[in-house]
Amino acid sequence: MKSVFFTGKGGVGKSSLSAAAAWQLAEQGNRVLTTSFDPAHNLGDIFDEQLSHRITRYKKTSLYLQEIDLEKSAQEYLKSSVGILEEVYSYTRAFNMDKYFRILRYSPGVEEYAALVAMEHLFRRESENFDYIVIDTPPTGLTLRILALPKVTLAWLDRLIQIRLQILDKRYTIHNITGKHDGKETKLPYTEDEDTVMRKLREMVTRYETVQSFLQSPDNNIALVCNPDVLSLKESQRLVTGTKELELPLRTLFVNKVTSENADAADRVEKELLDEIPEVALKRVPMFRQDTPECYIMDTDLTGPLGFTTEKKA
Amino acid sequence: MTTLIVVAGLAIYVLLYMTYGKKLERDVIKASDENETPANRLFDGVDYVPAKPPVLFGHHFASIAGAAPIVGPVVAMAWGWVPGLLWVWFGNIFIGAVHDYLSLMASVRYDGRSVQFVASDVITKRTGKLFYWLVFFLLILVIAAFAAVVGKTFVGDPKVPTAFFLMVLSALILGVLMYRVKMNFTPATIIGIIMLGASIYGGALWPVELGYSTWMIILFFYIIIAAAIPVDVLLQPRDYLNSWLLYFGLALGAVAAIFSFHGFTAPAFTSFAPIVTGGKPSPFWPVIPLVIACGSLSGFHSLVGSGTTSKQLEKESHGLPIGYGSMLTEGFLSTLVVASVAGFGLQLMQDAGESITVANWGSQYVKSMSATYPNAVMFSHSYAQMVATTWLGFIPISVVQVIAGMWVAAFAMTTLDTTNRLARYTISEIAMPLKEKGSGSYDFLTNPWVASMIPAAIGIYLAWSGNFAILWPSFGSANQLVASITLLTGAAWVSKRLKGKSTAVAICTIPAYLLWITVTAAIIWFSSVALPGTIKANPVTGVTVLVIEIAMLILNFIFMYDFLKYRKQPLEQEK
Amino acid sequence: MTNIHGKGGKGFFRVFLEKALSFFSIIGSSHREKAAELTRFEAKELENLFVLLLMGSFTGIPAPPSFIAAELLPHLEHEIKVLNARAHAASDSMAEIIGLLDID
Repeated sequence: MKSVFFTGKGGVGKSSLSAAAAWQLAEQGNRVLTTSFDPAHNLGDIFDEQLSHRITRYKKTSLYLQEIDLEKSAQEYLKSSVGILEEVYSYTRAFNMDKYFRILRYSPGVEEYAALVAMEHLFRRESENFDYIVIDTPPTGLTLRILALPKVTLAWLDRLIQIRLQILDKRYTIHNITGKHDGKETKLPYTEDEDTVMRKLREMVTRYETVQSFLQSPDNNIALVCNPDVLSLKESQRLVTGTKELELPLRTLFVNKVTSENADAADRVEKELLDEIPEVALKRVPMFRQDTPECYIMDTDLTGPLGFTTEKKA
Repeated sequence: MTTLIVVAGLAIYVLLYMTYGKKLERDVIKASDENETPANRLFDGVDYVPAKPPVLFGHHFASIAGAAPIVGPVVAMAWGWVPGLLWVWFGNIFIGAVHDYLSLMASVRYDGRSVQFVASDVITKRTGKLFYWLVFFLLILVIAAFAAVVGKTFVGDPKVPTAFFLMVLSALILGVLMYRVKMNFTPATIIGIIMLGASIYGGALWPVELGYSTWMIILFFYIIIAAAIPVDVLLQPRDYLNSWLLYFGLALGAVAAIFSFHGFTAPAFTSFAPIVTGGKPSPFWPVIPLVIACGSLSGFHSLVGSGTTSKQLEKESHGLPIGYGSMLTEGFLSTLVVASVAGFGLQLMQDAGESITVANWGSQYVKSMSATYPNAVMFSHSYAQMVATTWLGFIPISVVQVIAGMWVAAFAMTTLDTTNRLARYTISEIAMPLKEKGSGSYDFLTNPWVASMIPAAIGIYLAWSGNFAILWPSFGSANQLVASITLLTGAAWVSKRLKGKSTAVAICTIPAYLLWITVTAAIIWFSSVALPGTIKANPVTGVTVLVIEIAMLILNFIFMYDFLKYRKQPLEQEK
Repeated sequence: MTNIHGKGGKGFFRVFLEKALSFFSIIGSSHREKAAELTRFEAKELENLFVLLLMGSFTGIPAPPSFIAAELLPHLEHEIKVLNARAHAASDSMAEIIGLLDID
């Protein structure tokens, strides 16, 4: 299974291009899932369908559609963590304090985490079922944070594991010395196997390492879409820097909505970006009408620049 | 005579424990097992955990025992053996142990909060702040006095430093065994004890002679390093080995004293004001508390008791044996010291060529003692002589000398390096107001290395002068100042919170006021009579100590002012 | 009360042995406590730190993402108790430190 994330500033044409690329791949005989994490939810409009988090087949093709409602995902995640907290602090219900846990909704990272979880589920469950997964991403800031999340999480987990190992070591020492002579009642776990916390930490490490290695693998592609104008260029540069720092594979650059009038601007934008990422596969995409039905069908081939083979499947 | 005194001491302590101690428990504290102690009521498995009484006793006793109950009585022999002994017996029973017991129980009734907290409640908030400054001064003087003890001991008996550093090595090895390799406890302990024994023998075999100043430098670096490394590398295993040394030394000493049947050669009473400190005649009252601290009365104990002990007390009735009882036990230790020096000191000094006799003891003792067997060494050699006269005499006398010398040195050393750690903490508390001012001074002061160096440097510098006769009483003054403040706090607690009968309250307040007057008088005498002599000889040392004494005196008066002012005021909230 | 004459109770020697054993086991206990005392303190501080870090995400301190905390917190009951105990003691720690460090 191969994947591609279409990234870029809002309005540059991510959704349109991701829809078009998905269509082209499906036409080549592949089973393709195209999913949107973008709160703007243009995917449904493009295909003129009501979409939800349930994967639906588009007409009778080998193209499948999905829209992930990040807000809803976030709410569900929150409900479960609030639920956990309420369990731990069950006495707060008696004092009506539990409503204060709702404030967690404003906690930083909730949206990112919900997206990451959705992404992880997606890859885990659907990679067998599809040849390609095409992802339409939210605006740059959120996208970068989502993509950074595995790495950030792994850094914290590493630190927490170190502290936990020290705690277990000290507990073991104390147990070794006081042993069954210890007056304390509760037995605290002092080996890695017995310590639920340690196990959970290690599980989380595995999970995020999997996502991280997947994001960095050759089967994944971060495709950047930009327009021939200054604002789009600036934002694209941010994405370039961000993906470089995270060591994520930005392989394709689409300069979209090119016309005869802005061709010079397009030249300049391309030159700037190529300076920073010389090995990227570059493709200019001319302006095309988006308000017609079946606007996902376009002449320009997108699959080649994405690095995917174009051989038709039988 | 040794036997008589030791047995008499034991009998007096036991008798008065049963009568006076029980009275305290019953009428003043009104301790009752019906009151749940914080260890049970606030049980959290973390800090508040009830402990079995013998274990808690052992822990508390080991925490309060150390070098001071030994060194003090040795110096106090200048007054003859009777005055010091009377202070050790009756000062302990009526003031010192009362102080320990009161502060423990007050802490227990305040949910295990420290005596400092209690003071902020029953007197005024300012008192709490005062404590930090006092403790800070006390710590510096502790370093000065104890470094001097160690230095003099190392010079006076060169077997001891070898034994000590061998013991440090043993502790490092034991630390690795117990805390890294995690060997089983019993075999590790046995190995530890064997290494301890080997260190003692090693000390007896290979004495090392270095000058006093050299030792001061070595000590300075040792303190700084030991305070910086993780506790389970050196501190923890060394504390553990020390506790074995303590029990062994105590047992050996008690047995030897009882079986020695030796007469006392020192005079019973020389004069009211023999030469003790500063080369000046020192009146027994008020100076004695400055000289004999921990054997009779010690301010540190209140802080120790209200730290962990009060949070682990299982029942209120355990407070008497643990708080009152362990102080009496320490008094017993001091009794042993008096007995051994009284029995064997004169002979030792005369054999070393000193022209001291019973007749000139009052003016000559301190001089001779410092010249031949300074302080702890006087104890260790007398102790060794005492052991030699009994059936335990098969142990080579040099070995016994090392055991006793190590006892003092090892405990003095633990005090030194842990004091430094504590000083870091007090500095950061005192410097707190600087933090808001935003200047870099707070960061500078609380930098771990800087905070370590300040007390160590001042303390060692003071110790450098080697003027033990000044340093020891100055430590005593700070310690007893804290003691008088905590005893007054205890008395305030009894009268305000417990609202006992007036006789019950008097049992606390009378000693408290007496003590305060004594300590204040002692400090004034010390600053005006003893110190000026020193300033000519060691100007920097003398002036520094004088400045500290004056600062403490000011704090003392502020405290008394607050105490009297808030004495009649009822408490704001009922607990 | 034990009957030292052995009638319907334990013999004198047995009683003595039991008392001696319990005496030594108490001494043993006391020594073990001494040997572990500072390590216990360190362990408590580390546990405090661990859960403080996790809780930080709920209070705005730079901290691990809150989902890590949500997943681990139900298993950290003891550590949360330590946190609370330490918070209470934090304003009054001089005595505790003096108690732990062997100052005379």
